Amino acid sequence: MASILTGLREAGETLLKIAEKRRFDEAEAYLVSNKVLTIRLVNNAVFESKGVHDIGVGLRVIKGNMLGFGSTADLSKKSLEKLVDVATSTAKARKLPFKYSFPKPRKIPKVAGTHDKRLAELPSEKAVDLAYNMVEAAVAYDKKIVDSAGVLNVVDYETLVLNTHGVSAENAGTFFEASLSATAKRGENTCEGSESTAGRSLKEFKPRDIGEKAAEMAVSGLESQRLKEDTYTVILDYEPAHGVFYYASRMVSPVIARLYFPLFMDKVGKKIASPQVTLIDDPLMPNGVGSAPVDDEGTPSKRQVIIDKGVLKTFVYDSYYGAMEEKKTTGSAIRGGAIWALFAIGVSAFPGKNYNGEPIPVPRNPYFKPGKWKREEILEETKQGLLIRRFHYTRLTNPTRGDFTSVLRMGLYAVKNGEIAGAVKKSRLLDNLLNILQNVDAVSDKLVVAGSWGDYAHMPVIRTKAHVAPID
Amino acid sequence: MFIAKKEDDPAKTFKLTPKNAYANRMEWIMEEDLALFAVDYASKLDVDYVDARFEGHYNELMIVADGKVHRGVINRKSGIGIRTLVNGAWGFQSTTDLTKKGIRQTAEIAFKVAKASSKHVSTPVRLAPTKAYETSYRTQVKVELEDIDFEDKLKQIITWEKKLHTSKKIVRGLAKYAGIKINKIFVNSEGANIRFSNSLTEVSLKAYSKNGDITQFYEKTVGHSGGYEIFQKNDMEKISSETGRKAERLLEAKAAKTERDATVIIDNDYAALLVHEIVGHPSEADRVLGREAAWAGTTWWAGKIGEKIGSEYFTAYDDPAIPGTLGYYLYDDEGVKAERKMLVEKGVLKEHMHSRETASVFGVEPNAGMRAITFEYIPLIRMSNTFFGGGDWEKEELIEETKHGYLILCMRHPSIDDKRYNWTISAQEAYEIKNGELTTHLRDAALTSTAPKFFQSMNAVTEKIEILPLPGCGKGDPMQLLHVGNGGPYVRGVATVLGVQ
Repeated sequence: MASILTGLREAGETLLKIAEKRRFDEAEAYLVSNKVLTIRLVNNAVFESKGVHDIGVGLRVIKGNMLGFGSTADLSKKSLEKLVDVATSTAKARKLPFKYSFPKPRKIPKVAGTHDKRLAELPSEKAVDLAYNMVEAAVAYDKKIVDSAGVLNVVDYETLVLNTHGVSAENAGTFFEASLSATAKRGENTCEGSESTAGRSLKEFKPRDIGEKAAEMAVSGLESQRLKEDTYTVILDYEPAHGVFYYASRMVSPVIARLYFPLFMDKVGKKIASPQVTLIDDPLMPNGVGSAPVDDEGTPSKRQVIIDKGVLKTFVYDSYYGAMEEKKTTGSAIRGGAIWALFAIGVSAFPGKNYNGEPIPVPRNPYFKPGKWKREEILEETKQGLLIRRFHYTRLTNPTRGDFTSVLRMGLYAVKNGEIAGAVKKSRLLDNLLNILQNVDAVSDKLVVAGSWGDYAHMPVIRTKAHVAPID
Repeated sequence: MFIAKKEDDPAKTFKLTPKNAYANRMEWIMEEDLALFAVDYASKLDVDYVDARFEGHYNELMIVADGKVHRGVINRKSGIGIRTLVNGAWGFQSTTDLTKKGIRQTAEIAFKVAKASSKHVSTPVRLAPTKAYETSYRTQVKVELEDIDFEDKLKQIITWEKKLHTSKKIVRGLAKYAGIKINKIFVNSEGANIRFSNSLTEVSLKAYSKNGDITQFYEKTVGHSGGYEIFQKNDMEKISSETGRKAERLLEAKAAKTERDATVIIDNDYAALLVHEIVGHPSEADRVLGREAAWAGTTWWAGKIGEKIGSEYFTAYDDPAIPGTLGYYLYDDEGVKAERKMLVEKGVLKEHMHSRETASVFGVEPNAGMRAITFEYIPLIRMSNTFFGGGDWEKEELIEETKHGYLILCMRHPSIDDKRYNWTISAQEAYEIKNGELTTHLRDAALTSTAPKFFQSMNAVTEKIEILPLPGCGKGDPMQLLHVGNGGPYVRGVATVLGVQ
């Protein structure tokens, strides 16, 4: 692997030696090199290009029943000595009421397609040109496109977990995330459209597709009608389907459930969704947007079914929350991504990996088991309802009860007798997450990577029911 | 250095020498020379403009829920971010490699990406002029974070969380503490040289209650720019118990019912989130110019500067220069001196929040709106302390003079459309007002309206203003979560009360 890992390994080994000298029972070093290049597009042009290369280490130590954590970006010997002091002070403060130990070494599987050399080595000039291709395609699609804004993030990371049990787990990954929002104008009417995607390799990045799809959505919404407030049959396209299952897949994390969204607490073994819903976490999936041979504390990856035909089968665990709840780790530790950033106040949280905090357990490469329907068939078999292609400002407004809302800002269409019967003006979806899950009655056979801000899943199109009201 | 014997009780023998060695007094690497070196080196690369932010960060985070410690973290990071303007396009790169070689490479990348971007720029960036200040200032701190043992702090957080559990009806408690110290040097190719030592502390408390099928929660945040003294000045145990009891009392409250166009009186806390969402964000000039369209959205009042958009009781400010607030600073991350911005004056839209670049586009003076959470991010236009202006009413008078209406207390969740036009914000609790008196205690109430309709409806505001801490305002891609202050007086207006869905 690249020379950066050689330097990280030296620092990690030095750190563990210092910790051992200080007579800690156990120590773990999580070392990261995380490069992000961002090209930001505004007003049909490139506005700025910006980059970060974050290198550093997070240290966890155990002494008796005490657990400590500290991190630093300075890998000098002096700084590493100081880091052990920091971890010591936090350990002294934090006494665990349960027995805890870091993961032991185990055989690490191989996973294909998580790192693309071409993407990692993409010259910044080329990245700028590719990002601009999204704008060019949108503008070329239709003369009515008057504005566009978007982003391309290119992420290249390498991580190394070392612990005093002998775990030594390297991981490397690349991914891009790209999005474009386009505005169409005809007379006094304006309408937006957007498209976003993510992938592991450069060959998956199709900038012109993104630009054209954003433009198509914008133009298609120029003439729209106001809907009547009602409960509708709704077809959720890939991105809004992710908006629903983002919450569902996060709520099977014990820490997310305890601290933020307790809706699934005490529901393991119970029916929470329709039989059409099977949600799987498979970090061994080749080319998976969240795949890796190990999790972010060095536990080998494994596939597990989270929701099986509507029944919640399990929560997911890392070693810490597994110990807390007397369960085994499911290899679900992550350090990075939008949900992890909830636990990183005041520090940077770029897409990719992050050493500035302890891991949290969440499904790492969630995918929805495909159904038997073609996307077109779902539409054709819907007598009356709505097609929702985008969510915006999605919130779980009552995390205990499951009240769920999203602004349907663009990409909203009426469906009549199996056909799109025209665009619908801006509206709001207001319902309950459990109702939405339990009313799923059709799932498409194709999955697409959907999501944003570093959190993605492999999602189908789904059909369910939801209450939708117009907004002014 | 401590060396313990294996058989020792670690809890008793685990000591550090010297005391508080974990913090080591934050040896700030305030290498002014390196920041100047970065600007000097980049200036030779044919840039139109360059600035550098050299920063040292120290963060503490503790999260306790139901007696269990979920986080106990200390982070330290120092580095430099270099921003270049080349042929009218921005480039930016940051590094934690604080060698001259590392800084040279970083400057070269910042130059290279700006140059690459300049090929696809439609309107070259121009910067409105500003004075190149040379100054140094710091947040007033009475008790430095390092002066309190991490262990002692965590014990306190555990106690405060425990105090949330005022009865068995409290089914979950959550206490979150963050302590942040930032030392910063800003230098640019125009000669600015500004040092700022900042310190932010905040605790959020949340109690979940349950009785049969009814579940409720209540939360409270205490925070400021300053040191740990805020938790000594406030009786945190009492605040925790009150938070727990309020969550309990909500179980007995009646579910709110929907009522269209009701008279509503909102308190400072609810006003804080309202002003944040429908005045602060749409006042960001990058948003006004459509540059945030792909993310947070745009704003409905674009092009309406000078127009009347609300009643004479609607005045709003953004003011970074208020000591003790979470949005405190005296110079922004472009070196522009901060002053109070009058966003809306007696219903007339007066001013947006600007960068030097958007000020140039609008032909106005820059007004210090640019901030980044760390040196790793390029600055964005952000609100600092945005609040409604006050009037001459007393809170009691507002209630007494309301025949039928609702007192809406404390923010909960917002849901706002992309133009910041249509808004829905839920409240932690509410009271029905009948004939000038508070009557039924209500839960699960939310207000909804459009921004102009609500602004026009504002018909009374109290004299007393309060600015509250709002940690975690999100903007940008990659996302930057920033601490801000928001608030105002009690405000009376008209909105639709939404009951339980």
